[in-house]
Amino acid sequence: MKRSRRSFLAKAGTGAAAAAFGPWVLRGYAAEPVNIGALYPSTGSMAQIGQACVAAAKLAVEMVNSAGGIKSLGGAKLNLVLSDVQSDTTVTRTETERLISGNKLSAIHGCYASALTLIASEVCERAKVAIITGSSSDQLNKGRRFTFTPFARASQFAKAQLQMARLVGDKPKAAVIFENTAFGTATSNGLKELAPGEGVEIVMFEPYSAGFTDAGPLINKVKASGANALFSVSYLNDLILIVRTVKQVGLNVAINGGSGGFVVPDFYKNVGKLADGLLGVAHWNHDVSPDAQKVNAEYKKRTGDFIFEYAGGLVAQTFMLADALERAASPDPEKVRDALATLDVSKGYAAMAPGGRVKFGPDGKNIYGHPVGVQWQGGDLASVFPKEDARAPLLKT
Amino acid sequence: MVEIVAQAVINGLLIGGIYALVSIGVTLIFGVVKIVNFAQGEFVMLGMYLSYFLATRLGVDPIVSLVVTMPVLFVAGVLIQHFLIRRVLGQNDLPQIFLTFALSLLIVNVSLMAFTANYRTVHTAYSDEALHFAGLYVPVAKLIAFAVAMALSGVLWAFLQATDLGKAMRAASQNREVAQLMGINPNRVFAVALGIALALAGAAGSLLMPFYSAYPMVGQVFVLMAFVAVVLGTLGNVVGALIASLLMGVAESLGIQFIGADSGLIVVFMLLLATLALRPRGLAAGVQR
Amino acid sequence: MAIPVRLGVAAAGTIVAAVLPLVVKSPFALDVLIRILLFAFIGTAWNLLGGYAKQFSLGHAAFFGLGAYTSTLLQIDLNVSPWIGMLAGGVVAAIASLPIGWLCFRLRGPYFTIATIATAQVLMLVFLKLRDFAWGAEGTTIPNLGNAPLMMQFEGKAAYYYVTLGLLVVALGITAWIERSRIGYYLVALGEEQDAAEAIGINVPQVKRRIFMISAFLTAMAGTFYVQYIYFIDPQTVFNFSVSIEAALVSIVGGVGLLFGPLVGAVLLETTSALLQSQLGSIAGVQLTVYSLILMAVILWRPTGILGYVGELVARRRAKRPER
Repeated sequence: MKRSRRSFLAKAGTGAAAAAFGPWVLRGYAAEPVNIGALYPSTGSMAQIGQACVAAAKLAVEMVNSAGGIKSLGGAKLNLVLSDVQSDTTVTRTETERLISGNKLSAIHGCYASALTLIASEVCERAKVAIITGSSSDQLNKGRRFTFTPFARASQFAKAQLQMARLVGDKPKAAVIFENTAFGTATSNGLKELAPGEGVEIVMFEPYSAGFTDAGPLINKVKASGANALFSVSYLNDLILIVRTVKQVGLNVAINGGSGGFVVPDFYKNVGKLADGLLGVAHWNHDVSPDAQKVNAEYKKRTGDFIFEYAGGLVAQTFMLADALERAASPDPEKVRDALATLDVSKGYAAMAPGGRVKFGPDGKNIYGHPVGVQWQGGDLASVFPKEDARAPLLKT
Repeated sequence: MVEIVAQAVINGLLIGGIYALVSIGVTLIFGVVKIVNFAQGEFVMLGMYLSYFLATRLGVDPIVSLVVTMPVLFVAGVLIQHFLIRRVLGQNDLPQIFLTFALSLLIVNVSLMAFTANYRTVHTAYSDEALHFAGLYVPVAKLIAFAVAMALSGVLWAFLQATDLGKAMRAASQNREVAQLMGINPNRVFAVALGIALALAGAAGSLLMPFYSAYPMVGQVFVLMAFVAVVLGTLGNVVGALIASLLMGVAESLGIQFIGADSGLIVVFMLLLATLALRPRGLAAGVQR
Repeated sequence: MAIPVRLGVAAAGTIVAAVLPLVVKSPFALDVLIRILLFAFIGTAWNLLGGYAKQFSLGHAAFFGLGAYTSTLLQIDLNVSPWIGMLAGGVVAAIASLPIGWLCFRLRGPYFTIATIATAQVLMLVFLKLRDFAWGAEGTTIPNLGNAPLMMQFEGKAAYYYVTLGLLVVALGITAWIERSRIGYYLVALGEEQDAAEAIGINVPQVKRRIFMISAFLTAMAGTFYVQYIYFIDPQTVFNFSVSIEAALVSIVGGVGLLFGPLVGAVLLETTSALLQSQLGSIAGVQLTVYSLILMAVILWRPTGILGYVGELVARRRAKRPER
């Protein structure tokens, strides 16, 4: 009897205490940080880009957290869990797995290069954790439930590039050279398919192995092909060589540097004035909206460079994840995935994208996603195409 | 069409000159010391980085920095011979192959840690210049590299033919025991051979900087070319290596032009395999040295 | 080692190995174990050619890749199970080893090695170009079938562990059998002194051909497994030089020409690599730097490898013990 009364009192006591302290106890529990995984190539051949992405990822998380974190989870802060994928496919596979199995992740973003993202997304699909990415390969939208791509796809880049070629010449005869991994092949195939429809004749279509150290033979072929426009789908180092060699050979072609290596500050640093006037495409640019300009200003303060395409895009992605977490009110990855699938934003940092709206279709593509045409002007990258997205006039060269 | 072929040949010859510097080193080591230096390409890479740092820290033009890279790498060669190579001479294949192979791995990966994988370039006044004539163009930097490479090869050849040490090296390469009986100190000869070979590799590195990018793995492309040239030109034959290198540069260039931009290496390997199939001892086999 | 002792060690080892996944649950640890077994397997295959016959190939990635592509093509194009694909890949590699061997065996010593490197490179370049037939440089992922044992896809790592264990046991068994067979004696003879072996009537080219085929067959099986394990194939991954390097390294460090040499080498190298990665994170270049230092140390001071050195110690102690 005594015992039961004591235990009853104990239970009642605890109940009363819980009632009195409940809200505080509950909030303390829910304010556990939410883990977001970030996979980028901080070492290896894409190291410079990877490091810029990591800086942007950290900035984005700080921005979300200083704005109050995830309110529906009691102000829970985002916790960035970084991993270096070393610009290597096997490492990507193991690191993605290690990240997921070693941490309770709610979502992941990464990996810049399409070749690496394809693998990470495979792992994410099997582990049932959502991955959001700016990588452009169209393969990322095939047969996957957990991959989300808020920005333009490779096939869209191609169309924009072709349309821009018509801006500088009437009957463009284009030579297409591209690095032979996922990024290059996806975009260049888009160019090949859409060219006739856009009134562009392709006179040369040539894959090359990324990382060559001599662009001479390649540019030789371009010259021999009689092209007056050159589409190069390349990463940074190759693009630098290509642009310099074109000048060296004295070849008069309108270069469209595509995306990839073209849109990074290092391109201008290495090529200097040769870059001014060159056209390219990007899935994001720092002048796409006032919000983007704000992010750019902050990033520039920290790193000294303007925030480049992929890095800026991933800041928006972080806010998209925050929005999903807000609506899911749970760190559970499957719930986050479902919340992402129903994302529909048109203002705020999450909507920093060409066109200003993000909404995912059933295949993970943003139905409003489209690229912007960009041009180097005086050391800075300006959006010049299409009209709705142009923030500066097109420089004639 | 003639123009296109001519341009490809010019491009190929110019780069073939650089291949020659690397392959002459390999064949010299093989001829004299009788081992294959798998790490030869890495010394080209080190030469590139040395020139890069001299250029960016002290403003020394890469071509001028030859006067630094060559002696530094010569000394490196002597040290490597003394501390490493000497210990595996006379043993069977495994240590000899895998020692220089391990050295190659070591140098590449320490460089990766020290320098990171970022490409380093040096931009000189003449990096983007080219001579134009008859519709063809010759990049100035490559032309200078070719000229210096040929000059160095000529100096080496004269050294081997005319000086006592050079003759001692040729003797040791032809018959080590007899050379020893004649009073030639093999270790001294080997050290010089290593030193010269590495100095040539370093020279190649310096000459490359105005128009190439340095990164830790860059040596591996060159060493593969060098090996093919050495086999093609007959093992141990310096002139053979030179001619084979030029041939290979041209073959690679023509391959890129007419087959595909990513097929340069395939053409070179096909050359190697064809040589193995048809004339495994190389083009100069049976020809007097 | 005397045969009963060997069998005893092998049996004890197999039992311990078979029970391990029941105790070890961490995916990271299982991954390390799988890598140990996989590279011990590839190393054992390499050892047949490199350790016994002393033909040092640095191009075994060629067979690894051929196996990987054969089984993946069969799986994706014709829905053939990778179990069958594994054997098919072995056959393809064995057949490929004939022309490759014909070309490469024309050279001796280090030039044979270079020729093998060139072969693997050529294959990589070829597959980089085969866009319509084999996905080219982009590669492909294998379809996500969840838990599908008949298609060599499993949930959880334990099953993959058992597959590699099985492969290793098979390779060790084949090696042990060859060691004691006539071809084993021929191998060692031609490895020691090729011209002498020929002089006493051994058909050296034929022996080389045969051992090359077996070595290629086994290596190809590892390629199939690897694709099933990492869900992905592309030329740069499966024809990668590092595969060839590791195949040779585990054998040299552990002890060339010794049955358990590659296994010992794999244990050392893979655990070192895992330790490095967990302590230092993924810093590019660290792993291979350590590997190369280990290799150099072995070559300069213990060229018979760890197991070889242990064997020498044991022999020395036995020699000191007086006859009873």
